Amino acid sequence: MVFGLGRWFETIPGISVNSVSVTPTRLFPQLRKGYGKKLFLRRDVFESVAKKYDVMNDSMTLGIHRVWKDILVHKMNPSPGTLLLDVAGGTGDIAFRFINYVRSVRERQLQRKLRHHQNLSWQEIAESYQEDKSNSLGDSQVVVCDINKEMLKVGKQKAQHLGYTEGLSWVLGNAEELPFDDDKFDVYTIAFGIRNVTRIDLALQEAYRVLKPGGRFLCLEFSHVSNPLLSSLYDLYSFQVIPVLGEVIAGDWKSYQYLVESIRHFPPQEELKAMIEDAGFFKVDYQNLNSGIVAIHSGFKL
Amino acid sequence: MLRGGTAALLRAASGGGHGQGTSLAQPLEPSLLRFLVCPLSKRPLRYEEATNELINEELGIAYPIIDGIPNMIPEAARTTQKKPPAEGSKESEQ
Repeated sequence: MVFGLGRWFETIPGISVNSVSVTPTRLFPQLRKGYGKKLFLRRDVFESVAKKYDVMNDSMTLGIHRVWKDILVHKMNPSPGTLLLDVAGGTGDIAFRFINYVRSVRERQLQRKLRHHQNLSWQEIAESYQEDKSNSLGDSQVVVCDINKEMLKVGKQKAQHLGYTEGLSWVLGNAEELPFDDDKFDVYTIAFGIRNVTRIDLALQEAYRVLKPGGRFLCLEFSHVSNPLLSSLYDLYSFQVIPVLGEVIAGDWKSYQYLVESIRHFPPQEELKAMIEDAGFFKVDYQNLNSGIVAIHSGFKL
Repeated sequence: MLRGGTAALLRAASGGGHGQGTSLAQPLEPSLLRFLVCPLSKRPLRYEEATNELINEELGIAYPIIDGIPNMIPEAARTTQKKPPAEGSKESEQ
C-alpha cells in the first residue's frame, strides 16, 4: 500500500464491495439473472478503487510519490536475476518499477553483447533475440506481500491491465510474521508501509531473516523535516490541506488526519537507523528526499 | 436499444466472468513454493492440489489460496487435525 491507509481504503463511500454491488443491479435489474454477474461487478469495483487510489496519492503529493518510488528502485539498482521481496506493496507500485528496471538493464546487456560481436551470423543474432524474449528478466522475481487483501487485488488487477505476468507473484502475509524461508531474497523493500506496522522491531527482524547474506534492506517512508521554515510550511500543508483533500476526494477527513498524525509519530531518521542496526543490519544509512519529507533507509545483512 | 445494451453488458459480464472464474480456481504459482513457509513454525509447506491449500502437517493447519493468492495469515488458516469436522468439510468440498 502506498500511504498505508488500509483503514481509509475500506471506508471510502461508494467503493466498498457491499455498497457497489447493490447499485449496478438496481440500474440493470436484468443482470440479476445473468451468470458471472458478481464477478463482473467485482471487476468494476476494483477498477474504480485503483483509480481513486492513484488520484488520491497524486493529489496529496502533487505526483511526487512517483519520483520517490523511482529513486528507491534506482538506489536498489537491481541486476537481472535479483529476487525482491516487496512488503506492503499491494498495489504493485514498486514491483512494476522493479520489473521495468530489470528489463531495461537486461536489454542493455544484450545490446552490449551484440555490439561486442560485430560479425555474428544471423543465426546467433536470432538466438540472442529468442533468449531475450524467453526471459526478459533474467530469472528475476518479485514477490509482493501485503496484509491487505483489497490492495493485493488492486495490484493484481493493475498487473493484468499493464501486462506484467512474468516474475511477479502475490502473497497475503504479515510483515511481523513473514511466510518466507530464511536467506531467500536479495533485496527487501517496504515503501510507505513500515509506519503502519505495529511492531517495527519485529518487522525488521523478519526482514533480516528472509534476506540472503549480502542482501539489502530498503525502506521508503515519510520522515522528519529539519529546516524550520520548510517544516512549518509542511505542517501547514499536512494539517490544513491534506484532510481537506481527503474529505473532497475520498469523503473521509478522519483517515487523512490519522495519516498526517502517524507521520509525526513515526521515529525520525536517526532513531529508525538505530532500530535497523539493532535488528542486525550493517552499513545502515539514509538519504533524505525533499529535505526529509521522506527518507530512504538502507542496510545490509552481512 | 435497451435490450441491445443489456446484451452487450451481459456479454461483457460473462466474458469477465470466465476470466475471473478461472482465476477463482487459480492454483498456486509453482515458483512461490521455493519461498513459502508456515509463518508460525517457519517450516516448509505441502501444496495440496485437491483443496488448493498449503498444509503444515506438524501443526495441522491449512492456508487457503484465494484467486491464486496464498493467504498466509494464521488467523485465516483452517485446522486439519480435528478429525470429524475436517472429514465433514472435505466431503462437502468434493
